[in-house]
Amino acid sequence: MTVAAEVRTHLTRHVGPLLPIVGAVAVGFGVCGLIALWVGLRPSLMFRQLIKGAVEGPQLFETVARAVPLVGMTLAAAIPLRAGIVNLGADGQLALGGCAAAIVALYFPAPDFVRLGVALAAGMAVGASYAALAAGGEIYAGVPLLLSTWLLTYPAKGLCGYLVRTSLRDPLTAWPSTSRIAVGARLGSLIPGTPVNQGLLLIAVVAIAVIFVDRRTSVGFELRLRGLNERFARYGGVSLRRQTLGVMIASGAIAGLVGSIMVLGSQFRYTDGALTAPQYSWSGTLAALLAGGEPVGSVIAAVLFAALQTGGFAMERSVEIPRVLTMVLQSVVILFLAMRGAIWKRP
Amino acid sequence: MVHQAFKLFESLSVWENVVYRREPRRGIFVDGARARAQVEELARRHGLPIDPKARVANLPVGVRQRLEILKALYREAQVLILDEPTAVLTPAEVSTLFTVMKSLAAAGCTILLVTHKLNEVMAVSDRITVLRDGRVSERLVTAETDPDEIVRAMTGHHVTLQIPKKPREPGKVKLETEGLVVEQHGRRVVDDVSLQVSGGEIVGIAGVAGNGQSELIEALMGLTPIAAGTVSLDERDVTHESVAAHRAGGLSYIAEDRARTATAATASATDNLAMGFHRTPPIAVRGLLQPQAMRTWARSLIERFDIKIASEDTLVGTLSGGNLQKVVTARELAHNAPVLIAEQPTRGVDVGAIAFIHAELLNERDRGHGILLVSAELSEILALADRILVMYEGRIVAEFARADADEATLGLYMAGGARV
Repeated sequence: MTVAAEVRTHLTRHVGPLLPIVGAVAVGFGVCGLIALWVGLRPSLMFRQLIKGAVEGPQLFETVARAVPLVGMTLAAAIPLRAGIVNLGADGQLALGGCAAAIVALYFPAPDFVRLGVALAAGMAVGASYAALAAGGEIYAGVPLLLSTWLLTYPAKGLCGYLVRTSLRDPLTAWPSTSRIAVGARLGSLIPGTPVNQGLLLIAVVAIAVIFVDRRTSVGFELRLRGLNERFARYGGVSLRRQTLGVMIASGAIAGLVGSIMVLGSQFRYTDGALTAPQYSWSGTLAALLAGGEPVGSVIAAVLFAALQTGGFAMERSVEIPRVLTMVLQSVVILFLAMRGAIWKRP
Repeated sequence: MVHQAFKLFESLSVWENVVYRREPRRGIFVDGARARAQVEELARRHGLPIDPKARVANLPVGVRQRLEILKALYREAQVLILDEPTAVLTPAEVSTLFTVMKSLAAAGCTILLVTHKLNEVMAVSDRITVLRDGRVSERLVTAETDPDEIVRAMTGHHVTLQIPKKPREPGKVKLETEGLVVEQHGRRVVDDVSLQVSGGEIVGIAGVAGNGQSELIEALMGLTPIAAGTVSLDERDVTHESVAAHRAGGLSYIAEDRARTATAATASATDNLAMGFHRTPPIAVRGLLQPQAMRTWARSLIERFDIKIASEDTLVGTLSGGNLQKVVTARELAHNAPVLIAEQPTRGVDVGAIAFIHAELLNERDRGHGILLVSAELSEILALADRILVMYEGRIVAEFARADADEATLGLYMAGGARV
């Protein structure tokens, strides 16, 4: 093969797929710029505030802290998406996982650091089991996974809400929540003086593990090929049911871990609705969609979204541009990316 | 046009299906009462008894077909095309349909019946046009012809591909089915099929497409549930086991739809050729993929099967039909499995690739492996098979040793002619 041909092959394989993403992001920023002009603001000022708010000084740590749960929830969405299936129930798995972690961290009779470990494991196990329940709904009862995951979200949130209003209720707080978790059973700060806690390390390990499994193992191979052609995977001998179950267990475990990290690392108690209010599962699903479920791309998209969101909060404070504009930006990017079938594949 | 697969709103009633898109109106509303009366009158006039208020989901297939015909008549169709209309009907329903067809024709309607069944052609048609390989091969008048002449026109006189074959040395029975039944929508699409494939022989299944061959093969691979009967590999019962278990038990499978089933178009040749080998050395060691081994493996298969492809990284969706079929053949033969199922292994591929694939299949047989060959091409069956089974309406209706088979006899059985 000539050098030119080799370069071309390399470009089509590795850069080609990125073009639509870059294009969609550019269009997204363009649309937001136009909106800024329309309401009488200089787009350059807006974008500068947005970027400063995301990475300047202490804001950078805010972004990192936000990226931890967001990357986690993105991976929880990306693993099923890689195989072409969707877990819409990550919120329920997140809430149950967080609640389970809080209960263990508060009441499990063991030394602090053991309690912390057991709490994290319990969060993952509960998230995984709940996701497995949804998978079972599809495998054994024929309920489409889209429905079984989504609808199981409400009982999960409801159960946690009930618990913190009744037996787990801390009477000293105004909002329904558990008592505060003892300092020793918390995830400690990673960079003192910032909101970045040891959860960052846990999520980094998870991300590396997911990327490794995806790229280098037989399990990842089967997952990827199912995403490309499910009939082919079945024909080749992949057990789709077992795979669905495995994928959902992994996805639910990560969602449960994210809930545990939020409870043990930053909120120190389970408060009703506090885990799902930031809508990390939706942002995560969007980030995973942006990358088509490919884990490295998903992580990058998630970090980008975390920066956008932190920047959006700062922008709202400093130049009084509502941060809903950053949500507009995210949505426009996804919409244009979804259109790529029509725009980019035209001969 | 009445399609072979009905196009009806199952959750709506009969009259709603009939008048859809041509509803009698009263202002902006559909005039239901008038529509029901019209449908009732239409059904009575054409002798197609049906309850206009019945829900389609609750109707048997014979009545659904009547409804399809009513839909066409409501639109005052002059020409009615029926595509394999009897495929889903019981014998009693078939004879009712024929009565209706004759009375419609008598009333001035033109009916175009598409079928592969000789007895139907002889029973209801006035004139016959025979299609072969997309061309008209004969035009006949029913009253002046007989089934033999139609079969000759259907099968033609191909020059049988002569491939030098070694004498058969059949070994042990490797694949065996007993009384296999597959049901779809309450119909037996595979009906009481018993067959055996031994090492060192090619067993051909001849038949017009759609007579249960695909369903039989899917059942043999564990891709579709089996209603009754057994499948065994090397005397081990695998009837209700997974595809993976079938493959592990010694089956490999060239699927008929190479683009949708047997490959992933948006994956590279490396990935496509690794499928099925991706859990065992040298491709994977303890669950870890070995990228270098994957490439070497792909390159060696590409070279051995002379696949025209830019590199092993190229997406297989860009390949021609012949080269894509070679990718599938290469992978499935590389399994070195005791039994290979080859379903339409050369459909739509160029002559060079056909010769190559045929030679590879014979080579596999001479190495002592059994092959179950399904093909709609009689010439292919006659060129390769040692034994030939004919499938018609889900059943094995005849079995021949290669020496006793010729195109005319096979064609007659394929068209259900032995029952005329």
